[in-house]
Amino acid sequence: MNVYEEVKKAICKVAPGLDESKIVPGALLKEDLEIDSLDRVELTLELENNLGFYVMDEEVGNITTVGDIVSLIETKVKERAN
Amino acid sequence: MKQRVVVTGVGMVAPLGTGVEKNWTALCRGESGIGPITRFNASSLKCQVAGEVNDFNPGDFMDEKFIMHFDPFIQYAMAASMMAVEDSGLEVNKRNQNRVGVVMGTACGANSYFEDSHNFVIQGNLRKVPPFFLVNDSGNMVAGVVAIKFGAKGPNHCPMEACAAGTDAIGLAFRLIQHGEADIIIAGGADAGITPTCVASLDILGALTSKRNKHPETASRPFDGDRDGFVVSEGSGVVILEALDTALSRGAKIYGEVIGYGNNCDAYHYTAPSPTGDEQAECMRLALKDAGIMPQEIDYINAHGTSTVLNDVSETRAIKKVFGKYAKKVAISSNKSMIGHMWGASGAVEAIFSLLTIREGIIPPTINHETPDPECDLDYVPNQARKADINVAISNSFGFGGINGTLVLRKFSEF
Repeated sequence: MNVYEEVKKAICKVAPGLDESKIVPGALLKEDLEIDSLDRVELTLELENNLGFYVMDEEVGNITTVGDIVSLIETKVKERAN
Repeated sequence: MKQRVVVTGVGMVAPLGTGVEKNWTALCRGESGIGPITRFNASSLKCQVAGEVNDFNPGDFMDEKFIMHFDPFIQYAMAASMMAVEDSGLEVNKRNQNRVGVVMGTACGANSYFEDSHNFVIQGNLRKVPPFFLVNDSGNMVAGVVAIKFGAKGPNHCPMEACAAGTDAIGLAFRLIQHGEADIIIAGGADAGITPTCVASLDILGALTSKRNKHPETASRPFDGDRDGFVVSEGSGVVILEALDTALSRGAKIYGEVIGYGNNCDAYHYTAPSPTGDEQAECMRLALKDAGIMPQEIDYINAHGTSTVLNDVSETRAIKKVFGKYAKKVAISSNKSMIGHMWGASGAVEAIFSLLTIREGIIPPTINHETPDPECDLDYVPNQARKADINVAISNSFGFGGINGTLVLRKFSEF
């Protein structure tokens, strides 16, 4: 599974009309992609439903960039594998 | 001293089209916006007709994210508000933002979004319930989104007042400006109730027409002797209400003036109107008294006229109680004969049509008026529009729960 592509797909779903070229690891969710607090909830749910993980509220608290989300999901993939 | 209140902009999404001009032209031609229900499979219901909004492209007004997040009724309200604000030339900025408010009424709110969200609950999949469900389901959100769009930080209300919501929204906004609590208010109503749960419930209640599914354009026939129930329709109507001083100082165009408002309750039955029409009559009297107008000065009545057996009789009785012998002379018509019943949007849409009736001197007809009813024996401007000099009009809206609302509108004259 390509975690980065899954995250990109989920971002496109919750932010339709967004220019995909803006979705880069360093992109700030709020300032660069206009993903506000409600959109973040939708994004979390979209990733949960697609990938089968349960994401705790405290895990998303420090996320500010696309790269942060990718790191979180990659960690969960490793945890599941172990 | 009370401020005078005028209308400086209008916007509409309705079964006859998107935009006020399109609807008004069709209305004066006696065209019907009623057709078969296409939104869901209504084949098991007695009623299979509705006034669906068919030429609305939300992408003309809002981005994809907004369309994804919000119920159609909020989309209609947003579009109608945008049209009204553009029409009025209103600019909300740091100087006036605290004096610009929003009062947006609805009968039933976010029905589609509720039904779609609830499907996940029925499937036992609670984690799939969208976070935007509660955003849509918050009764006031329609007023909130319009305020956010325009930066309107003044008074903010959302009267959920059934079929009187649009009239009451304009009435409440009128009062707020009269008493100096705002200078400008974006006011109106919106509903999108052509959903399985809503239509089925009304169908089972026996409130909807069922005899003319094969000829939908003839189904809504207010005051006709062969009427058998109302037609559900949807959309939004929005006006920009403004203190006269503010409107004159910025050179705004003026459609007309709101001069009176009345509101009361039948306190009789959850759904049926009081058969005597006493309370509806009192509502009209309250509005006339508020306006300082005698009944004989009214040139036109925009009736609630739903095409139900009960409403049209009680409204006729009420009109006779207020107007006496003059009831036989005053012109009355029901826009619902062509656009169906837009619930919370109807009062606002009908207020706009009443203002155009005054301004243009044309009374839209009550179409499908073919069979006499001895209990509905007034002049309903049957079947064909009529030219007339209209100076003052009233617009009635009566809703479930027995709520009644009446507006008094007048041709604008500065002095």
